[in-house]
Amino acid sequence: MVRRYLRLLGIQLKASGLLAVQYRADFFTEGLTSLFWTFTALAPLFVVYGERPVVEGWSFGEALLVVGWFTLLQGILEGAINPSLTGVVEHIRKGTLDFVLLKPADAQFLVSTQRFLPWRAFNVLTGLGLFVYAFSRLGRWPSVPGLLSSVLLLGTSTLLLYSLWILTVSAAFYVVRVDNLTYLFTSIFDFARWPSSVFKGVAKGALTLVFTYVIPLALMTTFPAEAMLGRLPLHALAGAVVGAVVFAWLARRVWLHSIGHYTSASS
Amino acid sequence: MISVRGLRKHYKVHKRPPGLKAALRSLVHRSYTTVKAVDGISFDIRPGERVGFLGPNGAGKTTTLKVLSGLLHPSDGEVTVDGHVPRLREEAFLKKIMLVMGQKQQLLWDLPPAETFELNRAIYDVPAIQYKQTLDELVALLDIGDLITKPTRQLSLGERMKCELAAALIHRPRVLFLDEPTIGLDVSMQATMRTFIKEYNEKYGATLILTSHYMDDVAALCPRVIVIDKGLLSYDGSLDALVQRVRPEKRVVLRLAEEVDAARLAPLGKVVTHEAGTAVLQVRQEAVNATISRALAGLPVTDLTVENAPLEEVMSELFAENKARREAAAEDASRESVTA
Repeated sequence: MVRRYLRLLGIQLKASGLLAVQYRADFFTEGLTSLFWTFTALAPLFVVYGERPVVEGWSFGEALLVVGWFTLLQGILEGAINPSLTGVVEHIRKGTLDFVLLKPADAQFLVSTQRFLPWRAFNVLTGLGLFVYAFSRLGRWPSVPGLLSSVLLLGTSTLLLYSLWILTVSAAFYVVRVDNLTYLFTSIFDFARWPSSVFKGVAKGALTLVFTYVIPLALMTTFPAEAMLGRLPLHALAGAVVGAVVFAWLARRVWLHSIGHYTSASS
Repeated sequence: MISVRGLRKHYKVHKRPPGLKAALRSLVHRSYTTVKAVDGISFDIRPGERVGFLGPNGAGKTTTLKVLSGLLHPSDGEVTVDGHVPRLREEAFLKKIMLVMGQKQQLLWDLPPAETFELNRAIYDVPAIQYKQTLDELVALLDIGDLITKPTRQLSLGERMKCELAAALIHRPRVLFLDEPTIGLDVSMQATMRTFIKEYNEKYGATLILTSHYMDDVAALCPRVIVIDKGLLSYDGSLDALVQRVRPEKRVVLRLAEEVDAARLAPLGKVVTHEAGTAVLQVRQEAVNATISRALAGLPVTDLTVENAPLEEVMSELFAENKARREAAAEDASRESVTA
């Protein structure tokens, strides 16, 4: 079972790889745009930290770590999650999801692995580069437990992002045009470039609550950065793991329910 | 192999009259109507049978095929395919069937068809030896050796359809649902597809349901037809018997050595067409022999054939009959309600 799905994943990756090689000019454009967006992501940070050394308990170097995680996750989101799942919306609209549902394999797995953009790995590399730069500014290196828990949080963050996307895409079974929803999702994700505590002053802390529990952006970038700095409490780490699993379970339930509502497009 | 009992598929559809006022009103108050795509049909299909589904647009043919393949959940009724309930979408069931849609494609657009074949092999868990054997066979029968390594987007519609069919058959399905498989193809490509489909059915004993607007497809492939109209089954039986029932008259086609006055043709039967040395007469079956004798005796005939009415005509007559019957029934019902 697992071997079959791994083989399937391998074949889907190969197909995406072949496509990526066909469009190899993308490598350079991806690289350049990734660098450009990283600098634009850093610009507000320079502005804010030009005035004061610490914002809501975060120094410049520490906040750089959050941006690093944001860039890295953006790479994962745009390289491994987005392309497949925007494809689903198209499938539903055109009725070609029929072919996915006719296959004797898990439909969620098939649609989630149908397309990867390998060149987006450039963002992941940029994110790693930012970690190195941030720690060199801080003048120290992360502890081994800190590093390990941040790797664990990388897994939970990816799972969270993926589950949020599945929930968004599931809406397409009911409303068909979810382009706006996907834009909304990307814009909200933009907030994750800031440490979650900076939103404390907005609406009496309501925004921080929303970003922790409703749309768990804090879990995706702030928590892993804190883990790297060795100041994430153990209960928060456990909470992130449980939260991610619960979100994934919820997304799976909603997806299965939505498939039952698939009406297919007329021929 | 396939059993359908009282199948219904109803959709609730949001309906609003045209115009801005109606659009604004529908924001608050939505009115719905129920569309009865399939409204209580039953039939059985034996293993290895080739059955044609016929009906005008919107009759419920595709909906029935989608229910049979597990894509749509029936609103009511029982459906089994080789002992499986399609809507449960069990792996064992999905490995046995395939739905080919002439208007939709599963081939990966930017990559050669060979990549889709490889993907399907992994999805259907086809053993390596069987895969190679099936692929070689499909490549030879469909003559697609040169095509499967070209990106799909560079193939013509006909070439793509052949590759679509190959992709659908990699796992050797035992039940094949074909929804307009020859749509948009030229005449010779249609013939190639028909021959191939028939060979596949005969070789593997696969059960086959076909919908098509090309009556040639149905005539060539399906000894049995099921006619669906407005979600209801209006005929189930052999194609020949259907033609006999709807249009028992035969067509006598006469090729004439010289122009003949129309008045000389009229006594022989109803003249369907008469132009450029060819006359087509419509004659009751029992009068065919007499008509032929009289034509040979009295006219300069160089060639003569006896045919059934074209299937297209038979079908449109059947649909018109059904429509008239429905309208009459509706009128009766409204008259009864007025008197009540």
